[in-house]
Order: sequence, then C-alpha cells, then structure tokens
Amino acid sequence: MIMIAYYIITAFVVVLLGWNFIRETKRRGDLVLYLLVMIPLVLRLLRWK
Amino acid sequence: MKRDALFKTALAGAFLALCLWGGLPLIRHRRTDVPVVKGPGVTAVLRLSEFSPGLKGTAADTNIYVLEGKEPGGKALLMGDTHSNEPEGMLSALIYIENAVVEKGTLYVIPVFNNSGSRNTRPGDGYPLYFDVATDWGRRRFRFGNRDASPLDQWPDPDVYIHYPERQLLSFIDVRNTNRTWPGRARGPLMERVTFGAMELMRRERIDVAIDIHGAETMFPVTNCIVAPDRSVKIATLASLTVKATEGFENHVEPSPSGFHGLSHREIGDYGPSLPFLLEAPIPFLDQPTGPKTVKLLLDGKDPFLLSLSKKKKLFVPYDAGGWPLEKRVGQHMSVTLEIFRQYTKKNAGRPIIVGGVPRYADVVKNGVGHYLADPSKAVPGGVVMN
Repeated sequence: MIMIAYYIITAFVVVLLGWNFIRETKRRGDLVLYLLVMIPLVLRLLRWK
Repeated sequence: MKRDALFKTALAGAFLALCLWGGLPLIRHRRTDVPVVKGPGVTAVLRLSEFSPGLKGTAADTNIYVLEGKEPGGKALLMGDTHSNEPEGMLSALIYIENAVVEKGTLYVIPVFNNSGSRNTRPGDGYPLYFDVATDWGRRRFRFGNRDASPLDQWPDPDVYIHYPERQLLSFIDVRNTNRTWPGRARGPLMERVTFGAMELMRRERIDVAIDIHGAETMFPVTNCIVAPDRSVKIATLASLTVKATEGFENHVEPSPSGFHGLSHREIGDYGPSLPFLLEAPIPFLDQPTGPKTVKLLLDGKDPFLLSLSKKKKLFVPYDAGGWPLEKRVGQHMSVTLEIFRQYTKKNAGRPIIVGGVPRYADVVKNGVGHYLADPSKAVPGGVVMN
C-alpha cells in the first residue's frame, strides 16, 4: 500500500517536472535542473534495474 | 518556438546519453556473477529461498554451500558479505568453500549473505565496482558492493525503521542492512526475509555455532575483535586468548549489547539455537579520513592520513606504514573461526566440529589470499557455481 502511494507520488512529481520543462522558455539553467531531478524518478517509474 | 523545442530535445538527448554512459557500468556490475569453485569438501549447494520462500526469484536469494563431514558432529554456519564493502568476510568464506575438508560435523557457508548489497555501490564515496586478487595462476575478480541492499530491490525506505519484533526505532537506512534486520520475518521487507532464511536454516538444521564475518574502521572502537553475547562469551574469550598466545595477533572480545537490536550477535542467540559470534578485522578503506577509495587502499590498507592520525593516537588499533593488508584481515578471520570450532569441540565433545585443509593466519600472511583461491577455468565439469 505504501509502495503504491510512493509510485503515485513519483508519477505526480514527474508530470509536474515534465510540464514545467515544456513550459519553461527563458531560464535554461532550470531546464537542466528539471531533467536532473527527473532522472531517479523516471528510472523508478520504469522500474529499470 | 521551434528553436526552443529543438534546444529542449537536444538537452534531453544529452541527458539520456549521460545516463547511459554512467548507468551501463552499474548495470553490468549488477548483472556480473562471480564463479565459485566447489572444493573437495562441498557436498551440496542450497539456496536461502529453500528456508525463506519469500526470497525466491529476488536479487536477495543466495547460495548456501554445505560441507558435510566424514563423521557426524556439530554444525556451524559461516556468513560473509553481510556488508558487501567488507570483503574479508566473503574471501574467508570462499577459502573454506574451495579448500576445507570437514572431518567431523557439517559446515554451512554463505559467502554472499547480502546478495543485493553485493550488486550495489556507493557512488558518492567513489567506490570501485570490482577488485582483483592476485593468485598463483592469474587474477581473480570480485564484485565490490555496499553496506546496504540496493534500493532497486527494496524500496521505499521508511522514515524510521521499526525493528521486528522488538519495535526498537532504528535509522531508516537500517531497513536495508542485514546486520540490523535479525531475526527477520517471512513476509517482512526483503532484508528481513534474508535474515529469516538464515534463522530458519539454524533452527531446522540445529546449527551449533554461527559466525558472521565483518570488517570495521580503525577509528571505530568495535574493531579487531570478536563480538559475543553472554552465552558465547566463554568460547570467544578462549579463542581470543589462544590466537594471541599462539599466533601473536590481538583480537579482543566485545560484549554484545543486550539493548541494541537487529544485530546478528544479539538476535541469533535470542531467537535460535546457535551460539553467535561476529568477527571484526580492521579495514582502513572504510574509515572516513582517508585518501581516494581505491582498490589499492582496499587491498593494502595503507593510507597516509590514517598513519598521521595513528601518531596522534586517534585509532583503536595499532597502525604503521605497513597498513592493514587484506592478508592480515583474512588470516585473522581464518584463525579465529578455526579456534572457535576447536574451543566449541573441547566443550561439546559429543558434537565436534573438526575442519582441515584451510590455512591459518601465518599461512595467509605468508602466501597471500590468492594462493588459496582456485582457478575456475581448471575446475572439473559442474565444479563451478555462479554466485
């Protein structure tokens, strides 16, 4: 149950970050940060081991 | 707008390439199996999941090598790689598997107790992924792991780990530490299933002696010692005094704290039939104030910062320019384990554990660890097990 909740939270944060990445047009440094933060979350969602 | 999309696509592509560049060696490390040669004494190879079905098909399942003696007697369990960044335990266990001949009794050897941890790493500390041991026939390569199981295998971590069944509050990271999850439970987190499997092995097979082999920092007070609870302390003391008198190395006895739960030297004895012992040898690689965490430091244990600290009396073990090489660490473990068996046999004549064919401290220091490691390419057909 806890694990399912964590996956839902992870997916939600990935969607938020992805949305911000698409919408961001000026601050290129922020684009890099969005991608950096997304790496572990995407890997977790894809269950890549 | 189009230019912006192009830039973002290029940036995402560059990140993907970086992830692959950094991730592929980790994937290879995780999937690398190490060959173990079945020595003359190995009579069976079991899986831990036979005692804890919840491990079946997971990365935490691991091999148990059984060395049944020519004559019946007592039974002992040896565990290495409880912490996979302390390889002297795994190498000592391997020397038993590849060389030991049991005269009386039975040995159960688990060289890689935390299999998931052995496929994990600590990138923040710049850990090497592998290390090679020089042998008489070439070099033998081993995975170098981490103290804790991989979060890929057990996730998420709790905010606080509540130990089962004592309900003591432990650090969140200890939920992946197989020396905090004893005695475990069948359907608990993965690492509790690992320790539960070992407890079931000890209960079902009526193991008399259980030895968990580790390494510890030179700046940590519980190092270069045998940790034992009250019920094991007599044998531990006799073993400690004997190796000091006859082989000339220090290995004092530390009492197992009764109020600190989850550790092998505490829970094995409290929840099972076996006498537990935890062995520590000093491993400078684990100390924080050292130079880079290189394979050389792991093998020879020489570090100028520790030498300087030693002169200021900040270490808990003697330390000179000779460092604490792997040979000394493994050699100590070999002699202390053999001495524990001997002392146990003296006190329990009806359940003797007599093991031959393995080297003692002086032999390992003189000939090196690699001298006692077999060449997998020269093993008989079916004589190699992948670990």
